[in-house]
Amino acid sequence: MKRNLYALLSLLVLASMVLAACGGGAETEPPAVSTEPAAPAATEPAATEPAAPVQSGIAVVTFVQQPTTLSPLYQTQWFSSITTQLWLKGLWSFDSDNNPVLEIAAELPTTENGGMSADGQTLTIKLRDDVLWSDGEPVTANDFVFTYEMFVSDKNVVSSTYPYADYVTSMEAPDDTTLVIHFNAPFAAWLTTLFNTGVLPEHVLRPVFEAEGTLDNAAWNTAPTVGVGPFVFTEWETDSHLIFEANPNWIRPAKLQQVFIRIADDAAQEVAILAGDTDIGTFLDWSQADAINSNGKAKFVTQPSGYDEGWFLNFDPETAHPAMQDVNVRKAIVLATDREKIVNDLLGGLTAVPATFWDSTPPYGNPDISPYPYDPTEAGSLLDAAGWVDSNGDGTRDKDGVELVLRYISNQRQLRKDVQAVVQQMWAQVGIGVELVNYGDDFFNSYADGGPIATGNYDIAEWSDVTSFPDPEQSSYWLCSQVVGPDNPDGGNWQGYCNPELDKLFDQQATETNPEARKELYYQIGQIMFDDVVWVGMWKDPDLWAVSNRLQGVKFSGASPFWNAHEWSISE
Amino acid sequence: MVNYIIRRVLQSIPQLFLISLVLFLLMQAFGDPIASLGVRTPPKPADRERLRRQLGLDQPVYVQYVVWLAGNDWMKIDMDGDGVPETPGKRLGVLRGDFGNSLINKRPVSELVTERLPNTLLLMGVVEIVIIVFSLAFGVYSAIRQYSLFDNLFTGFSFIGYAMPIPLLALLLMYLFSINFKEWGLPYLPTVGMFDPQVGRTPGQIALHMILPVVSLSIISIAGYSRYVRSSMLEVLGLDYIRTARAKGLQKHIVVIRHALRNATLPFVTLIGLDIPFLLAGAVLTETIFAWPGTGRLFVTSISQSDFPVLMGILMMTGLAVVFFQLVTDIAYSFLDPRIRIA
Amino acid sequence: MGQNLAKLNTETSLDSVSLWGITRKRLFRRKSAVMGMIILGMLILVALTAQWLAPYDPTKSMLDVPDYTGKIEKRLPPCVHAFGCPQSEPQHLMGLDGNIRDEFSRLLYGARISLVIGFATVSFSILIGTVLGALAGYFGGWVDNTIMRVMDVVLAFPSLLLAIAIVTVLGPGLINALIAIGIVSIPAYARVVRGSVLSVREMDYVSATRSLGGNTYEILFRRILPNALTPLIVQGTLGIASAILETAALSFLGLGAQHPTPEWGSMLGQERNQVFTAPHLVFYPGLAIMLTVLAFNLLGDGLRDALDPRLAHVS
Repeated sequence: MKRNLYALLSLLVLASMVLAACGGGAETEPPAVSTEPAAPAATEPAATEPAAPVQSGIAVVTFVQQPTTLSPLYQTQWFSSITTQLWLKGLWSFDSDNNPVLEIAAELPTTENGGMSADGQTLTIKLRDDVLWSDGEPVTANDFVFTYEMFVSDKNVVSSTYPYADYVTSMEAPDDTTLVIHFNAPFAAWLTTLFNTGVLPEHVLRPVFEAEGTLDNAAWNTAPTVGVGPFVFTEWETDSHLIFEANPNWIRPAKLQQVFIRIADDAAQEVAILAGDTDIGTFLDWSQADAINSNGKAKFVTQPSGYDEGWFLNFDPETAHPAMQDVNVRKAIVLATDREKIVNDLLGGLTAVPATFWDSTPPYGNPDISPYPYDPTEAGSLLDAAGWVDSNGDGTRDKDGVELVLRYISNQRQLRKDVQAVVQQMWAQVGIGVELVNYGDDFFNSYADGGPIATGNYDIAEWSDVTSFPDPEQSSYWLCSQVVGPDNPDGGNWQGYCNPELDKLFDQQATETNPEARKELYYQIGQIMFDDVVWVGMWKDPDLWAVSNRLQGVKFSGASPFWNAHEWSISE
Repeated sequence: MVNYIIRRVLQSIPQLFLISLVLFLLMQAFGDPIASLGVRTPPKPADRERLRRQLGLDQPVYVQYVVWLAGNDWMKIDMDGDGVPETPGKRLGVLRGDFGNSLINKRPVSELVTERLPNTLLLMGVVEIVIIVFSLAFGVYSAIRQYSLFDNLFTGFSFIGYAMPIPLLALLLMYLFSINFKEWGLPYLPTVGMFDPQVGRTPGQIALHMILPVVSLSIISIAGYSRYVRSSMLEVLGLDYIRTARAKGLQKHIVVIRHALRNATLPFVTLIGLDIPFLLAGAVLTETIFAWPGTGRLFVTSISQSDFPVLMGILMMTGLAVVFFQLVTDIAYSFLDPRIRIA
Repeated sequence: MGQNLAKLNTETSLDSVSLWGITRKRLFRRKSAVMGMIILGMLILVALTAQWLAPYDPTKSMLDVPDYTGKIEKRLPPCVHAFGCPQSEPQHLMGLDGNIRDEFSRLLYGARISLVIGFATVSFSILIGTVLGALAGYFGGWVDNTIMRVMDVVLAFPSLLLAIAIVTVLGPGLINALIAIGIVSIPAYARVVRGSVLSVREMDYVSATRSLGGNTYEILFRRILPNALTPLIVQGTLGIASAILETAALSFLGLGAQHPTPEWGSMLGQERNQVFTAPHLVFYPGLAIMLTVLAFNLLGDGLRDALDPRLAHVS
């Protein structure tokens, strides 16, 4: 019995050693090239050597979550979507300032160049004629039409059909380099949503779709050996790593020879960053900034991605404190809050206070608006003028027998509790009382199930929210038609704010297909919401990255973080 | 004998059904897998409804269980949402070896699990060997030298080791041998993963990356098991036939090795043997901390995504292994001890 | 017969008195068991007096402390006046945690939580395990079969995996973690009790009670169960240790105690990213868990040796 057990054990170990060493299946031998030191050619601009670019170096990226799938059809998670920029480009991507960068498209369609029809319902996009799939086949407009068909086919259990099912009526390819898209109405978000997760190779996937009746189980989804980007997928061992090798066919050849994505949990990630074992880390916490910057092996980088921490105010006259209806009181509340100090003391001064909901969604944040300053004196006089004075001498202002005590709620996150405590002290100086309440995460977030937001059991609620980044759309929070009530249980406007002037602007921007004109509309929207104190920004809540000092040329972007991966290089 | 085996095998079938039923009900109470989808923002309501229908999550629990068990290739499902089932199902069901597909990445569960299994078996196999060797060595040595300095020190160590929370041990080892050793210019151990991408996946690299997880996992078990070996050794050493052997003038180490060790290790090895099926489930905490791509991490990841076909797959696999090993043990014992068959 | 029974009764009670007496003596003779009891005693003392011992509120950050003069900094290293920390700074024996709370105060309150965790889970599973095991052993047949098959289902999985699954269903939280760990350890107790019941069910004094018309309840609880006490006590003491470790593991994975409860496992888990920048925040809670588990293991080990005469001569 004993001997058998030993034999069994050693057999298991041997077998698994062999299996583990062969791993993945796709890889047949260890990448021998990788051990070579960085060749001098790598530091030269790749453009000078278009004929035979020499790639060298491996960049190690750490992901704290495993990508769920690689196919754009089935992506359900941020880590999946950001890998596509390495190996599967679309029409264009977005740079650090959220400006479009042409990839497969030859030019950005405008009314001037005839790309956008006068009625805003037809888009004609010219494609480059020199783009090849990594297997050498040309990329054509038919690939885009095929991608569209796959998104809307009910044979595929795709993660989202937006915007293709609701806004696109048809798509066609009159020739290999022309893509024509018809919308059912002028569609403002075309720039930010069309093929933003890449294009599918029709020559690879059409046969699979025809044979299996669906792409759900296509091998390509998790092993996309054919792609179109600076790198090409070579190996994915689940929960261990993904490997992308330089793709010689891409129009902008990569400087690196390989991008290696390691899956590790967040403690392991920090170890790897500090030990210099990883070049890029993400999903970090503010508190890690000091350790990473002072360690000297990497630096901490922030990149806006639409998220801002802020206050959502209750405007519902039934449930909110009566003072909340008065714009001067709302303004006084903001003036009485030293948000700069909060950012400096609690967030290490690493971020800033946003003035509007769109400050983290460039270019839609109005640059002419700056946040309300900290001015307790002005806050006091505003409150005095509004009739809120401390008539009974208890230290808290009151009016008509109602004390100015506001209900300021949030979840259990400690950072938020700290902010609440600081705000409480600041407000006490101007005579505003506050009731602090912290709910469990589930209850705080549950709109439908009698949570505090649904029942209006708050005056000020704090959380971090986002636009449809990189698109600025989030109008349902403030449209009159979206105010939640018995006859409109599915509305998105839980705060009860209604302003016909704002509604008009929101409606206008939804069909404004010219990005420049739409930006102007958002400047106006931002101004109105700022003047009327509808949403109060606490701090910009960007994506947090760490980049090792040996990895050069990295520029992130909120929409497509790895948009310039072809420019990354290693310097030892 | 044959009757006994048949009876025992038949008994394990309802047991497995019960296991699968309990698990399936447990999974129903899990979070909504659809709610955790969404790249940046939660999925839109229309997408949610469509996904629920296409994945069959809108069906009653018993239908879902039958589909899980027996497949749905004999029925049609509604993919386009017009209320009329039109697409023939493709699943074969567990009874025909199809554990379904992951809700998240649509890959077959059996593929996902068998991909991780070699990594887990490699790690746990080495751990198990290290545990056996060191527990026997330490346990026997401290039994022979009872109350010696080594015995006392070792007893102290084993109590402390046995009380160690694995995260503490693992993090401290990593802190010392990976970070500090590197800073001090000493030869250091790698932090996480299975190999260094700059070098590639060589057996040497894998061995190097295994050191810290193996040490973290085995210290605690060695502490526990060596105590066990020590006391069973002491028990055997106190028995009459050993005294007789000693009295016959046999050399001490011969007595220890030939007589005492054999009798003292048999229960120990049986104990270890019963652990084997549990090895398949991997080591949740250690695999998480050292980013070792094993089944334990697959389990934790799937939990956070409410990916219950995968969870069912992992749990059923361990359940199956446990039931199988119980069966084998029972049958083996019935050969050794015929009285069991009658009972 | 009645006389016989009375005699039997006095004999058994005499027996048990002397057994306890012997046990106590044996227990106090063992250095390790005494050490376990001392550590445990100290822990209980700390748990009972935490509110007086702790210099700060364990759930409040220094920001919320009125008139706090010290430096407000996350993960401030320990400041001990005796070791040269300037007198002007407020003393923090174990530094501040990531939420600017006094780590020492949290650790003290954590003792309370850990002990409650240990005793509550084990009582929960002993209670249910005893009832199930006793029913199974006493009635046998289909009752036995049903109960033990369900127990087999639980035993078919690694306990941590099953506990994770259960706590995910119930929702993360300390109470739910306790229930999950309690559930997965029920079979161990049920087996112990069932074994003891089976071994004495047919013994003379039990049959005697039965033939005298004693009811089931009396037989089970007065005659049979006391026999299971010895193994239950040992198993329970060791079970407390593993319950504390398992809760810590669940909390480490974020499934156990929730913020801001000062539970050692979650303190360890929350700060595990910081092991390289603020090792004290990982080291102290880890050490506290270790000490507590050590105490219960030492005591349980001592109890086993003391209660099991078979092992008494061995070590």
